[in-house]
Amino acid sequence: MSPPGRPKGEYRSAKHEGSPVTAPAKLRLDGVGKRYPVAGAPDTVAIDEFSLDVRQGEFLVIVGPSGCGKTTVLNVLAGLDTPTRGTVAIDDRLITAPGPDRGVMFQDYALFPWQTVRGNVEFGLRYGPAGAGLDREAREERVRRTIELVGLTGAETKYPHQLSGGMRQRVALARLMANEPEVLLMDEPLAALDAQTRIILQDEMLRIWGQDRPPAERRTVVFITHAIDEAVFLADRVAVMTAHPGRLKVVVDIPLPRPRGDATRALPQFQALTQQIWSLIRDEAYRAAVA
Amino acid sequence: MTTVLDARAERWWSTAGVGLLLPVALLIAWQALGASVGTPRTPLPVNIVKAAAVMIASGDLPAALLQSLGRVFGGFLLAAILAIPLGLLMGYSRAAERNLDPLVETFRPIAAIAILPLAILWLGTGTSAAVAIVAYAAFFPLIVNAVAGAKHVNPTLLRAAATMGLDRMTTIRTVVIPAALPSIGVGLRIAMGVGWTAIVAAELAVGAKAGGGGSGGIGQMMFVFYAYSIELNRIIVCMLAVGLVALLLDRLLRAMMKKLMPWAVQ
Repeated sequence: MSPPGRPKGEYRSAKHEGSPVTAPAKLRLDGVGKRYPVAGAPDTVAIDEFSLDVRQGEFLVIVGPSGCGKTTVLNVLAGLDTPTRGTVAIDDRLITAPGPDRGVMFQDYALFPWQTVRGNVEFGLRYGPAGAGLDREAREERVRRTIELVGLTGAETKYPHQLSGGMRQRVALARLMANEPEVLLMDEPLAALDAQTRIILQDEMLRIWGQDRPPAERRTVVFITHAIDEAVFLADRVAVMTAHPGRLKVVVDIPLPRPRGDATRALPQFQALTQQIWSLIRDEAYRAAVA
Repeated sequence: MTTVLDARAERWWSTAGVGLLLPVALLIAWQALGASVGTPRTPLPVNIVKAAAVMIASGDLPAALLQSLGRVFGGFLLAAILAIPLGLLMGYSRAAERNLDPLVETFRPIAAIAILPLAILWLGTGTSAAVAIVAYAAFFPLIVNAVAGAKHVNPTLLRAAATMGLDRMTTIRTVVIPAALPSIGVGLRIAMGVGWTAIVAAELAVGAKAGGGGSGGIGQMMFVFYAYSIELNRIIVCMLAVGLVALLLDRLLRAMMKKLMPWAVQ
């Protein structure tokens, strides 16, 4: 069942907006609600009536004020949280548990403290199904390449406790990318990075996602961020959420041409979209900041 | 630069000096007081050092310590092989914990020395009884810490492993066990301590049963000095040796863990 108001095939042509051509839904959230029981008080509603399709090969970014349930949406997609209402599906199969088809980058990184940088990046390939069919040499080559990509070359033998917050975040990013999952679920993956590294990794994100490949060969990404310019730069669509309860407010198309790069950030359209999304969440963001 | 180093050396000497002040003063007071008002039986620091020299030179003390150490290692290993896997299982599986925890907690307060009568009756007064006592004593700190280690694995790490598609056995091998290792290490250190305590008690008691001859070990050596030759100085040498060996073992274990678990910052 499609969510009401957005039947399949309604999406505009990709020729104008750079998003996949009426791609089928890869991920489908249908009327999803998640409540947490609170002792001696009414349940906390993390998200409510959340319906959204994420298309095959789409880069979807979720923005919204703190506490709007962004992370809950991600956890439900990952199969780490079970919705209390509604359904969530991947390729029309219900999601009931985590799986290697959906890679997650956690907000607190979830690095294995007993593994070095290399051990962490290699972990999924070595012990999970992601490394099936890779011989040792191919695996090591991929790990080496991924570590180089996130700028951690030289730190391979360090342990997480020896790294700065930004470096840990890069290890987590590299671990996710090394597994090359079909769907990437990322919870503020670039938040702890300095401005320059952040811009470099935004470009890399798009490359890994597959912006140079035809839409059918791209991965599907659900990406949470606080930074609106980051959302506009990366996304095919930006889902704006509202808090208390966490609901989907509006989905904004980002018809900026692809491939995107430094020139994209200078486009007047880029500025206009950033302004538009900011105006959508401004009131709530102010209220959240004051509260 | 030199002044900084000088100052640092001076500070070291002053702290070390302050630390040594009290023990040295006590030793002097003990020697003086014992020599002036004590009976011939009163052990004196000077005599203890002399007795230690004799016992080391004759090879008796090292031989006894070595024998006891062998038993401690035997019992320690036996306990570790049983307790660590069992503890990990209990920490990981609620069902296993519910079934085994009452059993463990019932036996845990029973002192190792209390099972000595059974050990002697079943296993005799030799090494196997001593090893069994050590294993019994070491078992409980090992299992309790293994349970705690496996239970308090950071749940996000388990979630991360699940999202990477790891199956249950691989998750245990690559996440639960490594996460539990620091706690298991604490268990090993405590177990080494109680194992060493238990061996001295067991050998003392076995010595009482077997008489002067028999199975040896540092505990039995103490019993002989107590019951047969009545040599207080030598008993105190044995006591000090037991303490020093325990200290050494603990330092050794700690160094090993630091080497094996460089991520576990102490």
